[in-house]
Parts: sequence; structure tokens; C-alpha cells
Amino acid sequence: MQAASPGTPATTDKQAAGRRRSRLARQRILRDWMFIAPQLTLFVLLTIVPFFVAIPILFTDMAQFNDPTVAPVGFRNFTALFTDKSVQADYIPALRRTLIFVALNYSTVYIFGLSLALLMYEVGFRGGFFTVVYLPLMVSGLAVGYMAVMLFSRETGTANLLLKELGLIKTPIDIFSAQGTAFILPLLVGWRYAGYNMAIFLSGLLAIPRETIEASVVDGATYWQRLWRVYFPQMWPSFILATTMCLIGSFAVFDELVAMGALYVNPEAKLLSILFFTYGFQVQRLAMGMTLAVITFFPLVILGVILQRLQRRLQY
Amino acid sequence: MADTASGWEQPRPRQRHMSTRTRRRLLRAFAVIVMLIYTVLTLFPFYALFIRSFVSTRDSAQLHLWIPEAAEVNMNAQVGNLSVFYDLDLADLKEAFGIPQTDFIMSRTSLRQLGEQYSIPEERIHDFFEGFYTYNGWRTLLTGTLYGTSFWGALARTLIITVISLTLAIILSIFTGYGLAGLRRRDQMFVYNLYLLQMVIPAMLILLPQFLIIQWVFRLFPGYGEPGPLRWGLQLLSIVLINIKGTALSTMVFTAAISSIPKELEDSAQIDGAGSWQYVRYILIPLLRVPIVSIIVIMLPLIYNQFLEPYVYLDPANTTLLPFTQSAVGQFSTNFQLIYSAILASVLPLVAVYLMFRRFFIEGVMSGAIKG
Repeated sequence: MQAASPGTPATTDKQAAGRRRSRLARQRILRDWMFIAPQLTLFVLLTIVPFFVAIPILFTDMAQFNDPTVAPVGFRNFTALFTDKSVQADYIPALRRTLIFVALNYSTVYIFGLSLALLMYEVGFRGGFFTVVYLPLMVSGLAVGYMAVMLFSRETGTANLLLKELGLIKTPIDIFSAQGTAFILPLLVGWRYAGYNMAIFLSGLLAIPRETIEASVVDGATYWQRLWRVYFPQMWPSFILATTMCLIGSFAVFDELVAMGALYVNPEAKLLSILFFTYGFQVQRLAMGMTLAVITFFPLVILGVILQRLQRRLQY
Repeated sequence: MADTASGWEQPRPRQRHMSTRTRRRLLRAFAVIVMLIYTVLTLFPFYALFIRSFVSTRDSAQLHLWIPEAAEVNMNAQVGNLSVFYDLDLADLKEAFGIPQTDFIMSRTSLRQLGEQYSIPEERIHDFFEGFYTYNGWRTLLTGTLYGTSFWGALARTLIITVISLTLAIILSIFTGYGLAGLRRRDQMFVYNLYLLQMVIPAMLILLPQFLIIQWVFRLFPGYGEPGPLRWGLQLLSIVLINIKGTALSTMVFTAAISSIPKELEDSAQIDGAGSWQYVRYILIPLLRVPIVSIIVIMLPLIYNQFLEPYVYLDPANTTLLPFTQSAVGQFSTNFQLIYSAILASVLPLVAVYLMFRRFFIEGVMSGAIKG
């Protein structure tokens, strides 16, 4: 367009067409943005801006939301993790519990999600069974937490009483003990998300071309070999998606913990999310809580972005 | 599970004589058994919750697998215990027996003593406490109020927020998807990636600053400080705004769906004189039935079961179902029966919707999960 020399009629035509095209393109951009703008405004205000609003607060001693005396403290909130004994006493056990929870919760993705998906794939899709597996996802995290309390309280838990009646256990499981919380919680969270994870893996399985499976059957591969050589390598996007979802979800687990009394009576259920919440809303250490949240989540956000990139590259 | 199943697939010499059909059948039987066990384990907590909502607190240390028979109220039961463990409303009691409201009843007074003191026949006391132990949780929940709201008010607010949020979220996400369709330009790609960030930003990280921003904006309204319709309306609005701000999933699903619609359709609509708005309204939205269903079934439980944001943003008198349940638990921490009734009542509406529309849920989740 720029190379066109004015003068000859042919090039003027071309120029006019080009101008019309660029005007149309500009109109199109304008129209696209008119449609993008409403939701994007909300999204930026409520998701992106909070990110940046948080940054200056991290360097102050803001204690609560309407704190009249906010003073800058430099990097003290960041170094507190290494110097402040009270912060360490709160943070380190919570971190340990969270990591244990993430690990156990991640294994339930496979124990529930992957095995159920394989079962469903091998015997054919069953709508009725899918309905049952997906049902717990309708239950709120809060209700799942209270179900845990109802089933596994030491004295009054229905599951405890039933297992005792059947003679399967001698000493009741106690949801409020350290081990009880550590094992029952991921089990129930895994149970709740089983349907979701199953759907992820099942759609991964359904996307595998049938010829590759038939070929492996003809070649006499055992089921185990088929899993590792045929199914799994072709399901990478599903694995990455399930991993991302589980990582983000596990660090954000909150409602279940509230139901298990984490805010007040049950210190064993105090995971990091509860710690951030208490610092922000209960014990007047808002800036410190936000700093701890940033320190904790920063590596996670980076990891999440990497996983997302990886998944998209594999999908296309 | 896979291990055991693999046994039937391996061509071991011993099993060679078994025909493929027999092997198939055995595999089927095994699968059906596993499915049955899983079904029982999944349904058991719901069943237990149902039963426990009828088991009175004093019986909670015994195993009940069926609704217990209505126990007679013991005449030696103390009024104080009844009000602590079963939320017996003393004002109701006084009114029913014609005791002046100003009279003080000692908490250690037993029902027998009460009857003697005010010469109430034993029959009337038994009538008043008919089914008291069995239905006390449900009665208290469905008729009582807590911090200025009843169960029904909380349920109504939840339903309003859910319906408005879902409708607006779908419309706005379709607009976004239409604006981003094709992802041909750099600005479109940038916006798309911005939305993808939502998936990896933990809600807990932005909760505190998000709360700050919304508070700053709302303080600009003069009446926000005092409780009243304006304050409560704004609070509910804040929850809706958080729900409709767009997610990675909705953006991905709608962008992909709209990109796959042939461009000729839009061109021909334009030639026929339809503007962009008319094209979206009359042609695009009817074509997007599948992605709309899939976003609805994924977002519906998330919005209905939202706890953290309403818990932080809403006044107790203006709250939704789950924070209401949570404060009921805090208030009646000794009445297990009431707690389990409240939990079950909060779960039931969505479960009913799910069972009614299960076909859409399955369809929607499977097609949504493929997109990631």
C-alpha cells in the first residue's frame, strides 16, 4: 500500500479499496471492544486491580480495613517469616498441614477420578452411575465439612457408630485429632470432586483414536501395558488440567475447614487459607496476612501459568 | 481397580479356554459390583444426614439407621436442659400453658414441678411436647429467625443472587466471546490471556483487596453506613458483580464456540441488514445452546454454594443460605439435630434441581471438560 505511487487509475482503485478495508477493520475493532468492554471492566476492577492495590499495603502495618493509623514499615512484613517468632508459630504448622493436604488431595484425583473414568470407559458410559458420582459436587464445601463431623465425630459420628457395630474398628476415628483431620478431609474433598475429575479424564479417554487401542489389542498388549503405552501418553492435556485444578483448589480449600471448626475450636484444621483469613479479619494483622498470602501464592501462580501454557501447547 | 481388571485381559494359558464372551461377562459383573459399592458409599452420607436431622441430641451417641420413634418427653426433664439442647422457646411454653410472661421459670424446674406449680394437667404437657424430640430440628429451623433473617429469607436471597448472576454472566460472557472470536489480533489475544489468569489467581489472594475496593466504592453512597434497603441492595449487588466478572472457563468456552461458527453467517446477516447486536441476539444466542448449558451447569453449584464472599460482604440480617447455616451452627452449637437439619435444608434445593436436569448436567460437564 505504501509502495503504491499515485497517478495511474489502477493504483487509485487499489488505494481506495485498501482504505475501505482498513476503515472496516477499524470499525470491527471498535465493535469488538464494545462487546468486550462491559465484562472486561468488571474483571479488571475485581481481579486485576486487587492485585495491584494489594502491593502498597504489603509495606505498611495496616491492622484492619478501616485502620486510621497506617504507617510504612518497609520490608518488615516480608522478613517477619524469618524473624518474628509469633508469625513462624502460626505459619509453619499451617504450611505443613497444607502441604500434606495438597499431597493427599492430589492422590484422590487419581484414586477417585482416574479409576472411575477408566471403569466407565471400559464398560461403556452409564448415565445413572455418572449421576451418582457427580452428585457430591452439588453439596457445598461447608456441608461436606459438616458431613465429615457428622460421620466421624468420636462419640456421635454415624460412620464410627456403624463401623463399631459391624466390628470393623475398635477405637473410633476422631475428626478433631491431627490424623483424623489429615486423612478424612482429603478423602471427602476427593469424593466431592470425583465427578469433576472423572469428567476430565473421561473426555481425555474419549478423545483417543480408537485405532491405536485396537492396534494394541491385536498386538496382544496386556491391560497394564495399554494403560501406560496407549492411554496415558495420549491423555496429557487431561492430566495437566486435573493437576492445575487440584493445586489451585487445594490451596484455596476454606469452606470445609470452617465447617470443621478451624476458625475457633479445631487448631488441627488450620490450613494456610484459614491463617490468611484470621489475620485479615480477626486478629488485626491485615498487612501481615496479605504478605504471607503473596509469599505463598506467588510460586503457585507462576506454576499455574506454566502448566496452563503447557496444556494449551499440547492441545493444539 | 485397574489391576484386578487387567487379570481378565491378559492372555494367560490357563484362561485361554474361557471364551471372550465369558470374560466380557465377568468384567461386566466386576464393574457392576464396583459401581454398586461406590453408589452405596456416595449415597450413605446423604442418608445419614437425613436420619440425623430426626435424631435428638440426647440420642446422638447411639446408632440410628432409621427415623427414631417419637419418644415421650420425660416429666423429669428440666426446662433449662430442654431450652439449651433443644431450643425450647420459653415464651412459647408460657403462652401455651397460660403462664404469665413475666413469671421467671428456674432452669432446674422439671416439667412435673412446672405442672404442679401451675396446676397444668399432665396430658396437656404431653400434647405440647408431641413429636418434640423428632421434629424439633426442622421446626426450629423453618419457623425461627436468627440475627434478623429467617431460613426462607436466606433461601430467597440465594435464589435471587443465583438467577441474576447466572443470567448476566452468560450474557456478558457471550459478548466477550463474540468480541474475542477468532483471536486474530494482538489486543484480542491479550484480553484472552488476561481472562486465563483468573484460573491461576487464587480467590483467597485477592479476597482482601477486593473487599477493600468494593468498600471504597460503596462508601460513596450516602446511605451505605446504616442498615436499610440501600445498604442491603448494594451488598447483594457486590456478590452479583463478583459472580459475573468473567472466568477463564466461560471465556474459553464461548470464544471457541463462536469462532467455530462460519463467518458467512454473519456476513449474510449483515447483508440482510442486521446489526451486530441483532446478530448476537437472534442468531448467535440460539446457536450457542450447548456451551450455554455447559456453563450454567458448571457455574450453578459454584454460585449457589458460595460461602466466603457472602460471609464477608453481607450483614447477618441480609445473608444468604450458607452463611445463615454457619451462623445457625455457631448459635445452636449444642443442638446437633438442628445443625444437621440446616445442612440438609441447604443441600436439598440444588440436589433436587440436579436430579431433575441430570441429563443437561452430564451433557454440559462432558462438553465443558473437553474445552478445559
